[in-house]
Amino acid sequence: MINKTGLVFFPAFDWSISDIHPEREERLLYTRDQIFEEGVLDLPEIVEYSPRVATPHDISRVHFCVPNVDDQVLAAHRIAAGAAMRLSDRIINKEITNGFAIVRPPGHHAMRVVHGNRGFCSINNEAVVIEHLRRTYGIKKIAIVDTDVHHGDGTQDIYYHDPDVLFISFHQDGRTLYPGTGFTDELGGPTAYGSTINIPLPPGVTDKSLHYVVDNLILPVLQDFQPEFIINSAGQDNHYTDPLGSMLITAQGYAQLTEKLRPNLAVLEGGYAIETALPYVNLAILLALAGKDYSNVTEPDYQPGKNVENSKVTEYVCRMVDSLQTTWRKSKEITIDQLCGSNKYYQRPKNIFYDTEYFEEKQLEKVRTCFDCPGYVIIDSHAIQPKLGRCRVLAISIHNRCCKKCIAEAWDAYQEAKKDYRYSYVYLQDKTEDTFITFRREDQSEWLTEG
Amino acid sequence: MYIGIDVGGTSTDAVLLSNGRVQATAKVYNTPNNLLSDLVQALDTLMKGVTADEIERVVLSTTVITNLIAERKNDPVGLLLMPGPGCKLQLYKKPNVHLLSGTIDYKGREITPVVEEEIIAAIDDFDSKGIDKVAIVGKFSPRNNRHELQVADIVTKLKPNWQVEMGHRDGGKLNFPRRVATTLFTCATKEKYQSFVYSVQQALRQRHINAQVFILKADGGTMPLESSIQSPVETIFSGPAASTLGAQALTPAGETSLVIDIGGTTTDLALILSGQPLLSSKGVMLDDQFTQVRALAVKSVPVGGDSIVEAVGKELIIYSERMGKPYCLGGPLPTPTDALNVMGLTKLGDIDKSWAAMEVLSQQTQRSPVEVARNIIDLFVDTVVTEIENMYLEWEQEPAYRIWEVMQSRKMRTKNVVGVGGGAMGFVPQIAIKIGGIPIISPYATAANAIGAAVAKPTMQVTLRADTEQKVYSIEEYGYQGKIEATPFGRDQALNLAKKWLLDRAAAIDIGDQIQEIEVTRQDVFNIVRDMQTTGRIYDVCVQTVRGIQWHVDAGGRLI
Repeated sequence: MINKTGLVFFPAFDWSISDIHPEREERLLYTRDQIFEEGVLDLPEIVEYSPRVATPHDISRVHFCVPNVDDQVLAAHRIAAGAAMRLSDRIINKEITNGFAIVRPPGHHAMRVVHGNRGFCSINNEAVVIEHLRRTYGIKKIAIVDTDVHHGDGTQDIYYHDPDVLFISFHQDGRTLYPGTGFTDELGGPTAYGSTINIPLPPGVTDKSLHYVVDNLILPVLQDFQPEFIINSAGQDNHYTDPLGSMLITAQGYAQLTEKLRPNLAVLEGGYAIETALPYVNLAILLALAGKDYSNVTEPDYQPGKNVENSKVTEYVCRMVDSLQTTWRKSKEITIDQLCGSNKYYQRPKNIFYDTEYFEEKQLEKVRTCFDCPGYVIIDSHAIQPKLGRCRVLAISIHNRCCKKCIAEAWDAYQEAKKDYRYSYVYLQDKTEDTFITFRREDQSEWLTEG
Repeated sequence: MYIGIDVGGTSTDAVLLSNGRVQATAKVYNTPNNLLSDLVQALDTLMKGVTADEIERVVLSTTVITNLIAERKNDPVGLLLMPGPGCKLQLYKKPNVHLLSGTIDYKGREITPVVEEEIIAAIDDFDSKGIDKVAIVGKFSPRNNRHELQVADIVTKLKPNWQVEMGHRDGGKLNFPRRVATTLFTCATKEKYQSFVYSVQQALRQRHINAQVFILKADGGTMPLESSIQSPVETIFSGPAASTLGAQALTPAGETSLVIDIGGTTTDLALILSGQPLLSSKGVMLDDQFTQVRALAVKSVPVGGDSIVEAVGKELIIYSERMGKPYCLGGPLPTPTDALNVMGLTKLGDIDKSWAAMEVLSQQTQRSPVEVARNIIDLFVDTVVTEIENMYLEWEQEPAYRIWEVMQSRKMRTKNVVGVGGGAMGFVPQIAIKIGGIPIISPYATAANAIGAAVAKPTMQVTLRADTEQKVYSIEEYGYQGKIEATPFGRDQALNLAKKWLLDRAAAIDIGDQIQEIEVTRQDVFNIVRDMQTTGRIYDVCVQTVRGIQWHVDAGGRLI
């Protein structure tokens, strides 16, 4: 196979949330300048592609957009997700070995149910790729490593009950940063226990401790899980100059991380030090993916020994890695029985805050604790959207490996909910059939998309 | 009346156009090292019965510079580079290259200064090797040329007679390796190009032609011969541009066409979209290096009328190399041209010889000579058709950075299939049928290059980037950097400044009267935000003269 790295650069230069919002057009302007000026797109190892546009159906494989995909998703979102999809296709077709989607807007805070924009995200670019890969190519085991300074709570939410998708996220401790989640005890639901690994790091971590985590925890867990495809949610906001995070990672640190992870696909997430970090970090990662020498890519103000890690931070990280190693080893012996006893459903209430538009969603999430399959998920979701007003919906998701009994139960639940006056919309996502049905109470209409 | 002259590698073709009609054509086989007499001979053929003062304009297209570089006859050049941090490119680990200190960032801010001692040491090194041409290129020099100017200053002070070229003058686009290549080639070819220009001027003077003289660029525009001395690399690969423009002139205005130029060694494909030839997103490649020279998007397929055909077992294979002339013209091996002769699609040279060539292949493959000829043509057509499809796909795949660019779907297949070049008559109708298009082949199909040169209009482009936070602006094409004086400075001011630059430059090279309309091709605004405050804006504006051709020959009639 030829060693080539694909790049889709989609800066959406004609879109932003607002003029001074951190997630704005200028974010990738200097990255473009740096990448163009370096001439890396002329390298034979790097191929540039245009994005494709994700269809509403591609998005419905992942999300329940309330009320509809078109109400929540703009062209920019569809292109960012489509960019990542295009690269994933080229990777599967062996045109390229790996790819980097340098796109905006980002997506890892977008959860399964979408009432609005959270943490600058509306749809989850990585999840759209994963469902596309499963449906189109029958890929079973996929790992996502989230290297953004913020916890990838959206991705975690989508795959919390999915034993086939390993989600590993390191991030700045949720007690000190948005979105305030991602602790070590969040390990996945009963049917997918141990397939979520969170590594909350204290502020002030440098390249040294980060690589300790990578070498002693992330790489062994990946090795153990044996994924067929690895996606890196590549947030660049662990950088020592990032205005939102408090970490001390360098461009070199990021590049080495990439070299070790060897992701098939990296998708840009956050990173708001648009002048001091993004041009250098993105370039270094791109070179690392392409197997080129990145040792000369340094920030203008970088000096060796500039970022010093507090010894307490180092010790803390070591202890956490130690304890997580134990948790990971033990998780394999823990059974559904031990977690839920004889309960038919495992359920948890959730409060979700939409920080861009300032409103809250209340959820009750239930997963069928089936012994034969990953079970199906039912979400009862209630929010007061600024645009739509009060809206309560029921969303049912059937995993692509669900057993016949679970499929039948899930369909029954859907039919029952259609009769329930409390729900304005009822959704059914059947991944075994690749169909997505929406029922609208107002006019009793029902429509379906399928691939 | 307009004259178009195509100075090729083996022949000089010329055409005289009057009111959109071809009045005369000329073909002169080149004599080595005597360009002047070839040109005079071509002019004399054209101008029978025409007086010199009737000629309004002369446009040349040439491969002189392309060939110089291909044959590595260019002069040695010393490179002074300031690459700063970033990629390590193996390319620069060469003798005659010195890497200097000095770093500028993407916004044009100085990070580290240049070091004078390093420059002096490099000059000593070049001096000891007898190099007296120096190219100076810094990373991000289009955003701030200070370091390049400083280095040039030191070189000129110590060696007043050396030729010095600077990156920001020769390629203002962001792409350091391409800028290095462009500056290097400018430096290496300037002297020899001057003698070409001199020969042209001599020839015209001898025939008392005082018309404006232009030279065709790879992007299909023209520039005055006089000002082309500053940037000879702009003239490279004007051949494919000439044939595309020629095809454009031979088709109705405003239509979308596929151009197929079938030559001896290669078949060149180009696209004309709604009357405009498609520009390539990458710069011209020269000596395995990309340059910053803008060019029309031309895809070269390595088969042509003179490609050699061989039988391997019972299979026929067309090889991409050329071993000389077709068999019918005394060449060594069977070619697609011979196949056309046998099928009665052309009548070139000795037709009996073409039959003999097919005969040989016929024995090896145990098929009749006609079947063999048919197979060769099919193979040829299939090869070209596959590449046409690939070309469309590549075009659809061109990167897009804005939402509107992605959302307007790029899927299109052309109706018109315009054939030019020697092999057009035989192959293009069959290719057109295969892809469901209408073949258009003008009787002047073989003179398309010279026609293309004759009808080409002068084109100019100005790309302005203004940063109101730093109060500076730069003009990519001319390497100019200046201060923003106007307050307030907004979108309109940025656009007007770019337009003013365009008109001023046009006037300076005496083509101001030929610019009727200015097109805005890009207009981006970026807010610069610090601590949640907008502290400035970056304006990225590109304006150009409306591209196009002067005339459609024979009203672009569809003749076959």
